[in-house]
Amino acid sequence: MGIWAGCEIPEELYYDVERDVWVRLHEDGDVTLGMTDAAQTRAGKLAHILIKKVGKHIERGRSAATVESAKWAGPLPSPLTGTVVANNAESFRADVLVANRDPYGEGWVVRLAPELWEDESAHLVTGAEAVERYRERIREMGIHCYRCEE
Amino acid sequence: MSHPIRLVDCGSVPALRSQTVFHAVAYAMTPETPDTILLVAPGEPYVSVGFHQDVDKEVDLDRCRELGIPVIRREVGGGAVYLDGNQLFCQWIFQQGRLPAMLEDRFALYVTPLVETYRSLGVQAEYRPVNDVHVNGRKIGGTGAALIGSADVLVGSLMFDFDVDTMAQVLQVPSEKFRDKVHQGLREYMTTLRRELGTPPGRDEVVRAYVDACSAALGRAVEPGPLTAAETAMAEELDGRFASDEWLFSAGGLRKHGVKIHEDVHIREAVHKAPGGLIRATAQLRHGRIADVAFTGDFTLQPGSLVASLERELRGTPLEAAPVGACIDRFYDRYRPQSPGLEPGDWSEALIKLAASPETGP
Repeated sequence: MGIWAGCEIPEELYYDVERDVWVRLHEDGDVTLGMTDAAQTRAGKLAHILIKKVGKHIERGRSAATVESAKWAGPLPSPLTGTVVANNAESFRADVLVANRDPYGEGWVVRLAPELWEDESAHLVTGAEAVERYRERIREMGIHCYRCEE
Repeated sequence: MSHPIRLVDCGSVPALRSQTVFHAVAYAMTPETPDTILLVAPGEPYVSVGFHQDVDKEVDLDRCRELGIPVIRREVGGGAVYLDGNQLFCQWIFQQGRLPAMLEDRFALYVTPLVETYRSLGVQAEYRPVNDVHVNGRKIGGTGAALIGSADVLVGSLMFDFDVDTMAQVLQVPSEKFRDKVHQGLREYMTTLRRELGTPPGRDEVVRAYVDACSAALGRAVEPGPLTAAETAMAEELDGRFASDEWLFSAGGLRKHGVKIHEDVHIREAVHKAPGGLIRATAQLRHGRIADVAFTGDFTLQPGSLVASLERELRGTPLEAAPVGACIDRFYDRYRPQSPGLEPGDWSEALIKLAASPETGP
């Protein structure tokens, strides 16, 4: 686990650093996506999330969900092309702050069956490289991560 | 940064276009697109609803139809708001990475020229973090932020005047009492250039002051320029999408309760069923205290004039169990009212439920 300015960067995950999205590759070839620690910090406490439904096809770069906090709204862009096989709307309905508390665990957003993993994963980074890229980004942006306590 | 900022002054445009134009600049953004400040006012009034709001729970659509006021959903968060030609929208559409990364800093930058513009016009405006502008405790305009397409967007307005009566009419509210409280709250806690100065200044004067203030705050030149053909085409495409019912009704996120007038002032309603009848408490809350409250329902409290007395007694009380309970006990001791089937604790319970209402968005 890399930690920089309070931001956790788990090394086993893949990242689209520009889009600020993490990707977990599962053994069956599916991937789950979510907001990184830096992304949830920058957005602030979520007030709403609208996640693409199961069966929906998403092109790389298009939104897998739209997110709204008290002061900001925007997409969670998918770094991969694929079809939604599960979404975590239930957890957000129970606790809309789930991604603010646990961005890499309970706060996952969507699970996709990726179609072009071989090609598209080339722009993702993982491991030590991911930690280094995030350090740079966090430093440039002046971010200090925090999680919701209450 | 040496690149000048493009200033696009769209003047007065149809209601729909006043929303679609900044979305269009964002969606049509290429790496070559200059950072842009868009100034625009709607030619006719409309209601703008937040990105994830459930429209028919937030807006009285029948009333809007009667008044001929269109309802348009935006891709920026927050609550429903009534907009018309007395507001000048100031929309920033910037390349990512050109504005501060943290929202607090981004809003501080965005709000600075709004504050400076008001001050140059003789209005003692102040930045109220995170994203408000206040004049003597009253809010003047609202702001919001979004990522639209690949653009960082900030929206807000300069308030020449505000139609409180129509705003209070178009919101969906649980009761007419609640509507009265919203109306009263807007009147007390919002302000405009007209209210502060008597007569609002001319548009040209305000625009000049705002553009100068933007240039100073951003440390960059601001130069007038037109929209590109691609941006105009995108606006036309979005006009179609934003006018559709499919778009308007497609959100339906979590329900927001209550109405927020400004950061510290909320209108809430709560109901408590007691053996002696139903108590509906409609209150204006300010800094966690009961600024004003009205009780309605089918309860009996005799003599009848005591309802108003109780409402008066509660003003200024912190909305917490102990002080509310003490206030109501004092009231019962002093006036010895007849309230069959109602204990002092029933009033407290209705009031404490107000505190438990979920927080509303901006």
